[in-house]
Amino acid sequence: MVSLGYVWHELRRRWSRTLVTALGLAAGVGLVMGIVGVSNGLSNAQGQVLSPLSSVGTDIVVERTVGAADTSSTATTTTTTTPGGGFAGRGGGPGGGFFAGGADTSANTADRTALAGNNSSILTDLSKLGPAGTQYSNDFFVNGTLITFPQQAVADVAKLKDVTAAVPALSLQALHETGTVPTITDTVTTGGQTITQAVRPPPLTAAQEASVRACLQASGAFTAPPSGTSSGGPGGGGGFRVSAGGFGAAFTKCLPASYQQYEAQVVVPQQTITRVLNPPTTNTKTSGYTVAGVDPSNSSSGLITKAQLVKGTWFTSAPAQEILVSTAYASSNDIKVGQTWTINKTGYKVVGLVNPTLTGDVSDIYFDLKTVQTASSQPGRINEVLVKVAKSTDVNAVAAAIKKELPGATILTSKQLAGQVNGSLSNAKKLASDLGVALGIIILIAALLIAALLTLSSIAKRVREIGTLRAIGWSRGRVVNQILAEMLGIGVVGAAIGVGVGLLVCAGVDAFGPTLSYSVAGAVVGASSASGFVHSAAAAAAATKSIKLHTSISVLTVVVAGVIAILGALLAGLAGAWRAARLSPTSALRDLG
Amino acid sequence: MTPDTGGAQSPPLYRLKQVERRYMKGEAEVAALRGVDLDIAAGEFVCIEGPSGSGKSTLLQLLGALDTPTAGTVQIDGQELGSAGDAVLTGIRSKRIGFVFQQFNLIPTLSASENVALAMAPHHPSKAARDERARELLTRVGLGHRLEHLPSRLSGGEQQRVAIARALANHPEVIVADEPTGNLDSESAGEVMGILTELQRDGVTVIIATHDPEVARHATRHLRLRDGAVVEDTAPSTGDGHL
Repeated sequence: MVSLGYVWHELRRRWSRTLVTALGLAAGVGLVMGIVGVSNGLSNAQGQVLSPLSSVGTDIVVERTVGAADTSSTATTTTTTTPGGGFAGRGGGPGGGFFAGGADTSANTADRTALAGNNSSILTDLSKLGPAGTQYSNDFFVNGTLITFPQQAVADVAKLKDVTAAVPALSLQALHETGTVPTITDTVTTGGQTITQAVRPPPLTAAQEASVRACLQASGAFTAPPSGTSSGGPGGGGGFRVSAGGFGAAFTKCLPASYQQYEAQVVVPQQTITRVLNPPTTNTKTSGYTVAGVDPSNSSSGLITKAQLVKGTWFTSAPAQEILVSTAYASSNDIKVGQTWTINKTGYKVVGLVNPTLTGDVSDIYFDLKTVQTASSQPGRINEVLVKVAKSTDVNAVAAAIKKELPGATILTSKQLAGQVNGSLSNAKKLASDLGVALGIIILIAALLIAALLTLSSIAKRVREIGTLRAIGWSRGRVVNQILAEMLGIGVVGAAIGVGVGLLVCAGVDAFGPTLSYSVAGAVVGASSASGFVHSAAAAAAATKSIKLHTSISVLTVVVAGVIAILGALLAGLAGAWRAARLSPTSALRDLG
Repeated sequence: MTPDTGGAQSPPLYRLKQVERRYMKGEAEVAALRGVDLDIAAGEFVCIEGPSGSGKSTLLQLLGALDTPTAGTVQIDGQELGSAGDAVLTGIRSKRIGFVFQQFNLIPTLSASENVALAMAPHHPSKAARDERARELLTRVGLGHRLEHLPSRLSGGEQQRVAIARALANHPEVIVADEPTGNLDSESAGEVMGILTELQRDGVTVIIATHDPEVARHATRHLRLRDGAVVEDTAPSTGDGHL
């Protein structure tokens, strides 16, 4: 029912119309392919970000976070940091509490205290570091926002149905501090006060007076009148007469003993001197890093696995004095395999370098779990359980089971982890999935409309031709088929060009496309900065990564794009065919101009 | 050959009774044909004449099964067209009628040969058969050397000859031609009329509309229309015509 030669010549000899219509479709399809490619690329990027989690076989991470919203109705005890630095517990439903202990609804008090104590114990007491001039180097371990819980939780989780592995981990933030104990001196100068004391001797007693008079008279200094005491003036006829021998000496001699020598006790007023001593300048340097204690006996599951070993070996049979160091930390601190790395005066042998997962629980140094527990004074306690389940479809059920087994646990599945990936990556992902779909549909509709309009305009120009076909005996159906066949041809051309355009767009995005940054929400990071600890910047930096956007086009996408172009062309062709079918055969004769 | 003008024994090829054709032209109704009675016998060479707007083209469209009357009956071989559906009309056009247009109406993207073959497409002969028939027809109209030329590379006369070849593709009984020489120089017009005359001589009924007296000269019967009615019917010498 179709004259293929006619179709071919129609397309070939009206090549500009063919090309314009095909280009319209191609542009639409190409752009949609570009959007799909970018969207796939973003999905891949997200997958790449998240894949390390799955590559280590961790499907669920069980942890407890400070201030984590707990929607569980049975057990909620939310600890929040207050400005004062203390922890205030509130809530505490019946029969639960966190999984630290049994019936005690406030069982987590111990946990909170431990966490608060741990996080606040990093004050450096200079007085205990030794005499001035002593070099000191200390490493402090703090829990950050992850509350520890008894290691028993691992066994609790492991016994659940469909759980194939449950591995403990203790992720901590560490603060390395070095410096010299400073000399503290204070100089106080006292004395130099002038003390004035007024002494009023008691009046002479009659006996003393008589004695003094007698003495004076005896000394001859005075000529005493016959009676009375001293009523005469000097030079008076009957008064005193100062002898030539001098009055003063005689007087002094005649005073009673108590007047000749004073004995007085002067009490200087009591004075308390309080001075503020400014702390001495110290040369203390601090640097932060993260550590994690892992189960050395499990090299295939957990925070770090043997698969992530880049250099050196896994923990040996004596893991207590051994560490694994992340390649990033090793390169920035010039750490080599085989060397000894000292932490809190203990030397650890660097047995291997590892390239840990990008997601969340990235630590700089990995220890044997017991080492970290001891170093942080948290024996028998962990803050993460990494769970592997039998099938990915079991994840939600297992997560629910864990929630039931360990009320109050914060449970992260790899899917939830995806939601915690932030930054331009997730923004772009959202943009691509939301706007991208809308944009794709709009572009496709626009391309379709353009193709339909071009087809209709082409039909309008071919009214006489179509009338002639009808006049020479072509049925309506044949004319319709002819037009559809032409549009099919245009669709094929459009599909080919569109796929080309789409691949070019993707290549362009790959060549000039943006580098996306992303960060993973703090709760997932082993120890974050929410406790107010000093290393927020370091922690944030550690959790923000970037990834290059690579578009991805599958064969299926290409096929679908091609089919869309062809279907679009056919749809436009239907519009034209409908118009053509309505033309009367008399149009061949009418209005011949 | 003396045409049988349809006695009582055999009906004429065409029989039109009280044919009316009205159009809506904007708000106004235009009666293109009013009460036309007409018989045309097989083998006639009928020339329809008349001024513009007299109804020539409308009558031609009815005779060519392109259109149906508003009132009255149009019969071909006794088959009523007025009530026939599109498929029936298409079949009649395809098998019994060949069209020649003033503007040639060739498909511009197809060669002379392909244009002729196109008319045969509905009848599904093989491509080889179609090509063979196209070559034969084009040779017959003197274009055997122009088979692969596009219409744009042919002269007006050549294009019209291709159109005639196309009209003949399905062995029609009737050739309907609307001003076939209207766009041609006198030499080409002469060639085209020669071919049409030859066809009539071979038994094909030829109906043309024209106002060229030189063209009309070839006809055996002249119908003159005015205001949608036949005002003059010069029957051929032997015909009992339209009395």
